[in-house]
Amino acid sequence: MNTKTAPTALEINDLTVSYHSKPALWDIDLSIPEGVMAAIIGPNGAGKSTLIKAVLNLIPRAAGEARFFGLSYQQARNRIGYVPQRGSVDWDFPTSVLDVVMMGLYGKLGWIKRPGKAEREKALGALSQVGLVDFAEHQIGQLSGGQQQRTFLARALVQEADLYFMDEPFAAVDAVTERAIVDILQALRTNGKTVVVVHHDLQTVTDYFDYVALLNVEMIASGTTEAAFTEDNLKRAYGGRVAFLTHQEV
Amino acid sequence: MKLKVITLLMMVCVFVSVSAAQPSEPVKIVATTTQASDLVTILLGDLVGTEVQLTALLGAGVDPHLYKPTESDIAAMGEADAIFYSGLHLEGQFDTVFNALRERGIVTYAISTPVKEQGFTFGGFTLSEELVDVDDPHFWFDPRNWELATAGTAEALSELLPQHADSISANAEAYIGDLQTLHVWAVEAMSVVPEDQRVLITSHDAFNYFGDALGWEVRGLQGLSTQDEAGVADIQAIAAYVVERNISVMFVESSVSPDAIEAVRESVTAGGGRVAIAPRHLFSDAMGAPGDFGGTYIGMLAENVSVIVMSFGYDLPAWPDGLLPEMPQELLTLE
Amino acid sequence: MAILRGRFNSERAAWGAGLGAVLAFILILTVAGASGVTFDHTLRTVTMGGALLGLVTGVLGSFAVLRRQSLLGDALSHAALPGVVIAFIVQGRALSALLIGAAIASLTAMAFISALTRTTKIKQDAAQGITLAAWFAFGLILLSYVQGRPDAGQAGLDKFIFGQAAALVQSDVLLIVGVGALVCLIVALFWKEFKLLTFDPEFAAANGFPVRFLDSLLSSLIVAAIVLGLQLAGVILMVGLLIAPAVAARQWTQSLGVMVLLSGAFGAFAGSTGAVLSGVDVNMPTGPLMIVAACAVVLVSVLFAPGRGIVWTVMSRRRERQAVGRPSLGGVQPVMVKRSADDGQ
Repeated sequence: MNTKTAPTALEINDLTVSYHSKPALWDIDLSIPEGVMAAIIGPNGAGKSTLIKAVLNLIPRAAGEARFFGLSYQQARNRIGYVPQRGSVDWDFPTSVLDVVMMGLYGKLGWIKRPGKAEREKALGALSQVGLVDFAEHQIGQLSGGQQQRTFLARALVQEADLYFMDEPFAAVDAVTERAIVDILQALRTNGKTVVVVHHDLQTVTDYFDYVALLNVEMIASGTTEAAFTEDNLKRAYGGRVAFLTHQEV
Repeated sequence: MKLKVITLLMMVCVFVSVSAAQPSEPVKIVATTTQASDLVTILLGDLVGTEVQLTALLGAGVDPHLYKPTESDIAAMGEADAIFYSGLHLEGQFDTVFNALRERGIVTYAISTPVKEQGFTFGGFTLSEELVDVDDPHFWFDPRNWELATAGTAEALSELLPQHADSISANAEAYIGDLQTLHVWAVEAMSVVPEDQRVLITSHDAFNYFGDALGWEVRGLQGLSTQDEAGVADIQAIAAYVVERNISVMFVESSVSPDAIEAVRESVTAGGGRVAIAPRHLFSDAMGAPGDFGGTYIGMLAENVSVIVMSFGYDLPAWPDGLLPEMPQELLTLE
Repeated sequence: MAILRGRFNSERAAWGAGLGAVLAFILILTVAGASGVTFDHTLRTVTMGGALLGLVTGVLGSFAVLRRQSLLGDALSHAALPGVVIAFIVQGRALSALLIGAAIASLTAMAFISALTRTTKIKQDAAQGITLAAWFAFGLILLSYVQGRPDAGQAGLDKFIFGQAAALVQSDVLLIVGVGALVCLIVALFWKEFKLLTFDPEFAAANGFPVRFLDSLLSSLIVAAIVLGLQLAGVILMVGLLIAPAVAARQWTQSLGVMVLLSGAFGAFAGSTGAVLSGVDVNMPTGPLMIVAACAVVLVSVLFAPGRGIVWTVMSRRRERQAVGRPSLGGVQPVMVKRSADDGQ
């Protein structure tokens, strides 16, 4: 599905990832244009997180490639921000919220150089964007789930990327935090950034996202939310196990 | 009928005489330490290799306190007719094996038995957590003890090989004479050193009997068994003593690491004193390689005496005429 | 304000702990001196060696503990044994040869463990356990084979199993200083890389850091610390000197930098205290005394550290109960975090 006209933020072709000789992702083609907020949805085990990790070269792939703004990952790395799942980290680690956010700038600093005042200022700026300035010196284990998620988001924001990948940012997070995060993401989109989110809550897809990819080991469908987020596609993606209630019935 | 009976009787006679003429299997003897195998070899003389098959378990320079018997060692001991070992828990890791072998009826003889029975062992030492208040096992360093051991071992061997009892006791008598000559020579050699300097500092407490036989004071760093670890206080104590008595040289051993003695020397030097470490090691728990001068008991003791006397800066008296093995030329100077 | 209250485990606690260690050491020195211990060259050498070694292992041990690699440290220590024996067979009893052999053996074990977890379904802890047992058993077989050789006793090879700290000489201490300084320099240089690698290796990889290389580098530094300490503590107890100071330090601070420094201080305390105590009486083994000192520090820290210590937890629960008049809702956090109605699913 190569669009040769509009520049794409993310272009995936023939991506295949196998896990112990079983396919986790099979022949994925996906094209996400710039400036959208895209959701990757599918049932558990569909390979959503795997897709992000494979695209970012965090896990090996059996076949396929991914281009970012037409460039390889190595070339485009400075323009990409990544917010991993919250459970991927030991929150008892002796470090403060501010420290974690500054880690987002380590890549730009390169080898051996230490973060200084400029980095500290940038980090505080990102923290104020997510509303966590007061917690800058807290040890990260002292935070609630939503605050931890916002810390990770700040760490990605500080990288001032053009394309953001987020892995289940709303999982086990309170409604207030969820709203706050969505506001930030939509602000990013307004500024022309692209946001790709692995999302689990079908209820909120139409509210938050304008682009969607339905995944179940294979790419079921992708496109704008109106075009792709249909009953048929959902049935194909979820194997018929999706209940549909209209707004009046809820 | 008579023919058949006669033929049968003749076959029986032939069979019996043939089997009587078969040479009997060699007697299998296992010796643990190098000292034990040296003594057994001397007493048996030509019998070794023909009528007696002798296996030595520990080689030159091997520490008998720490040596753990391997599967092949245990197999050899299991098939042996008799086992000759040093005793007094010198072979520290063999106790359970010896008990098991005794239960199976295999003859085990501790060479130290006559020395112990006649009360010439030094007691009150600690070898390990279990062995408290036991005898110092290094009895062989006093040639007079070794004479007793020779007599006792000769008797034990004669019981094993009664047909050779005469030659064994003849060998024993000759050897005891040699040991007496050796003792006289050793006393003469060690008396050359002035009385106030007659202190022997070594890595572990192996030389109590040696000192008693030759009139010297003896101090070890590590205690009776090399299993003990030398602690900081041990090193400090020896260093202080070296300085106090103005001792000029300390000795390392063939089967023990010299690290602790080096630490003592550094301590003495740091305190402004001076002490050397002898350029050649002493034989303590094990003798030298078979075929070398130090591979025999007489040679081992003589070599120790020569290293000590020459390290203190004195000359040796002439080697006694006719005492074998003869001290080789290269050992008459320290390199 | 929230910032000040948020820094509950302020670095004052860590400073206090470090000062406490120094004071405890001075107290032990005084008591030892009173019971007749002489602080001569021997004791000074062993104390200095123990202190410097403890410092290095404390620093590296922080990373081992935070990376959940405590068992790995144990595996790498035990794995050093065959290397020591093979080096003796090949090169004789020179200390530098033995230590290089130890390092090579540990590094091969490390490579084997990661190959095992990467290519099979065997988990980390099982891989480490298998490798520890296999390498150590191989070392024991070699020791048994070599004990029949004439110069084996002189090498004192089995001292590497339990350590012999008392026989330390100046040149040994200089070796510890040299290698230790290099190791600490590398840690300082790659500080932010190691910090990121330990906290979030996935994020590190996504940001272009060569995670495999950094991981190998850090593990190699840990091997270097272990090999340095083998003479003093032996392969079996070495893990204690590596892990205990870090575990203790963790209780007193929420900053990685302070934890590493404090861990080094605790390690130095343990190493030097073990040395001093071994001078009190004959037959006191230095290596095990160092480990006991290290574990004493852990015990005190786990009990008395503010914010995490057991005594603190009990007292603060009691205070909360008295203040509020009903049982506290569990948890130790005196910092009140605004929670909305349906938070914390």
